[in-house]
Amino acid sequence: MLFNSINFVIFYVVVTTLFFVAPHKIRWAILLAASCYFYMAFVPVYILILGFTIVIDYFSGIYIEKESSPRRRKMLLAASLFANLGILMVFKYFNFLNLNFGLLLHKFDYHNPIPYLRILLPIGLSFHTFQAMSYTIEVYRGNQKAERHFGIYSLYVMFYPQLVAGPIERPQNILHQFHEKHNFNFSLMQSGLKLMLWGFFKKLVIADRLSIFVSSVFTNPDIHNGTTIVIAAFFFAIQIYCDFSGYTDIAIGAARTMGFDLMTNFKRPYFATNIQDFWRRWHISLSTWFRDYVYLPLGGSKVGNARRYLNLFIVFLVSGIWHGANYTYIIWGALHGLYCVGYVVLKPYLPSPQNKLAARLVRISGTAVTICLVTFAWIFFRAASVHDAFTLVRNLRSFGEVPFIGDGLNNFAQCVLAIVLLFLLEYKMEYYPERFNFFSSRNIVVRWGSLAFTILWIVVFGVFNGGQFIYFQF
Amino acid sequence: MNDSPVTKFLVRLAAFSIILIAADYVVGLALKKIYFSQHIGQYSQTTYALDSAKQDILIFGSSRAVRHYSPSIISKVSGLSCYNSGRDGLMIPYAAAVEEVSLKRHIPKMIILDISPRELGIDKAKYERLSILLPYCSQHRELLKYINEVGPFESDKLVSKTYPFNSSVFVLACNSLLVNSSDKDDNGYVPLQNVMTKREADDYAKRMIARAKKTHDKTDIPEDKAIGYFKQFLDDAAKYNIKTLVVISPTILHNPFYLDNQLLERNLIEKITGEYKNVTFLDYSKDPRFNYHPEKFADYFHLNVHGSKEFSEIIAQDVKASI
Repeated sequence: MLFNSINFVIFYVVVTTLFFVAPHKIRWAILLAASCYFYMAFVPVYILILGFTIVIDYFSGIYIEKESSPRRRKMLLAASLFANLGILMVFKYFNFLNLNFGLLLHKFDYHNPIPYLRILLPIGLSFHTFQAMSYTIEVYRGNQKAERHFGIYSLYVMFYPQLVAGPIERPQNILHQFHEKHNFNFSLMQSGLKLMLWGFFKKLVIADRLSIFVSSVFTNPDIHNGTTIVIAAFFFAIQIYCDFSGYTDIAIGAARTMGFDLMTNFKRPYFATNIQDFWRRWHISLSTWFRDYVYLPLGGSKVGNARRYLNLFIVFLVSGIWHGANYTYIIWGALHGLYCVGYVVLKPYLPSPQNKLAARLVRISGTAVTICLVTFAWIFFRAASVHDAFTLVRNLRSFGEVPFIGDGLNNFAQCVLAIVLLFLLEYKMEYYPERFNFFSSRNIVVRWGSLAFTILWIVVFGVFNGGQFIYFQF
Repeated sequence: MNDSPVTKFLVRLAAFSIILIAADYVVGLALKKIYFSQHIGQYSQTTYALDSAKQDILIFGSSRAVRHYSPSIISKVSGLSCYNSGRDGLMIPYAAAVEEVSLKRHIPKMIILDISPRELGIDKAKYERLSILLPYCSQHRELLKYINEVGPFESDKLVSKTYPFNSSVFVLACNSLLVNSSDKDDNGYVPLQNVMTKREADDYAKRMIARAKKTHDKTDIPEDKAIGYFKQFLDDAAKYNIKTLVVISPTILHNPFYLDNQLLERNLIEKITGEYKNVTFLDYSKDPRFNYHPEKFADYFHLNVHGSKEFSEIIAQDVKASI
């Protein structure tokens, strides 16, 4: 079920109402049933995959906690991780690996006898698998007690707002919340609904508007000139941010209206002044996941410089692979790995500003360079194939020619308007968080006026074609 | 559950909803007034095509219809009045919708449908764009079936008075506030002034040949629903025994459908039109008077003002011969 559908609006109202009407002891069951329904609205049979990982990890957690032998604990953890990664491997990477294996055999004139799997990728597989893995790892590390209530544990993996595209929660943050009683809270309800409204705005007014232009360019990489490609890549940078952070806002907002507090996932990433800063602001729940469970176990920064750079690169490469079984994502990850390693290497040599003006200039140029680097990498992320990506990169040479603006100026102008609006709002949130908060103004005319204005703006400028969220495919 | 905050919330929600409904009504009313008072641009052309066009010849199609057929030239040669009801970015379902509404009001002597083979291919966009008919649904209920192609709840969204004008505000504002914001049309015809360069044409040919390698293995079959709309269009014309020309207008390359692997669709158009006695199929995509003549094109897909005038003269002769 897509957040940007009428079905979801009905679903949300019914579930939230039932949640508050029902006695506390059965609320978990309502949420679990709702989450199952939500997930099964995509491909029903894939609920069995979720069920399998839930059973494995539930018992793994309990046995890891009970077990005193470090070796056996490690084996139990390995078994749990193996099961989770095994599912990921089969459903997400098998055909990709098999294809490459086949190509390799073909080079030596052998035929690949292994058949391809005719399966659809389960929605949000990487998200809930990583969330499930973080549970067993945290139990193993002793940071989280094993959950005894099977229903609550299932809810931890399946909680509908963040089931298919995160934020990828940690058990320490969310599990205990399912045990707590959440009374109806007026201010949480208000702030949750406002956050959802902002999420819908980002998705419908900005992301889906930009996607019209972006799709028309990226689906025909060979017919567009460099100017058009630069515009499309920049538009995609904004599109994916608004699409994903819009989803996150709706997820966090929906959970908040029921009293649940999900972790922050975005902090205005395009205001980052360098690539490391970007990754502290972009998809925070995944970046911290990789930091905690990959980068630090590899030695993090407590190793020699060469090893540290390698660790950094590995993390980004794995992050690219996490996104999808395609070389485009691997290149995207590798590019970010190179950017980060390059930044860490160059950082000591970067001049430190001597006065306010110089500091501002450094900040602005840092932001501009970061946006350019990130946008270039998005070309690989968005392209359907490596061939398409390199075609687009090659066509960048014709930068300066008159751009293609789609069918008429109307959509293009609305794209520009949406980006300007986003920039102004994000600028305010970044630098003046306490000012111009119309949604929470004490003056009811301003507050309700701004809310009504935003809703009407969505109705007037939104795109209601039911566009899927980009990150659902991961 | 504590009643007090719930009641407070529900009361405020109800009050806010009333304000929102009122605001939606007022904004919707204002937009409707602005929309239907447009005198230039494609909104006014659609309004005219649906509500007023009573010419002897009606032209339907996409941007290639709008840009390629000059009613003045066709009228001058054929002696019949003519209006171009084509619209940028819209395809066969839109043509079927406008034709259905128009024919309830007026029976023309001839219909010209400009079609591209790709219109019969799989492309969700051609249905999504039917939402531009939303402002007319209150007057023409028959359009609701086309609106439902946009999405399952599309007609339910008409509860909002503002929603029918979704995505049109920018154009409405420009047309209302700026002089010459849109090109003035000549009975629906809006020629393009650009002239394509030889380099652009060569570059395009090169890209299309590279693309042909990719689309060579295309197995997409033409879309049944689009074929259905094409047949409906022809059936409606046949019902009133209206002489109909189905035209593929000129293209810059002489083998565009081969390169884009759309031969299946192109041949299907020929086969379907062959089933109707009142229909003549004219394919100008291989006409050497236009192929590789970049000076007659504005871009890869459209003739410019010179090319379209030359083409209109040719079509006018076809019209004359068909009457």
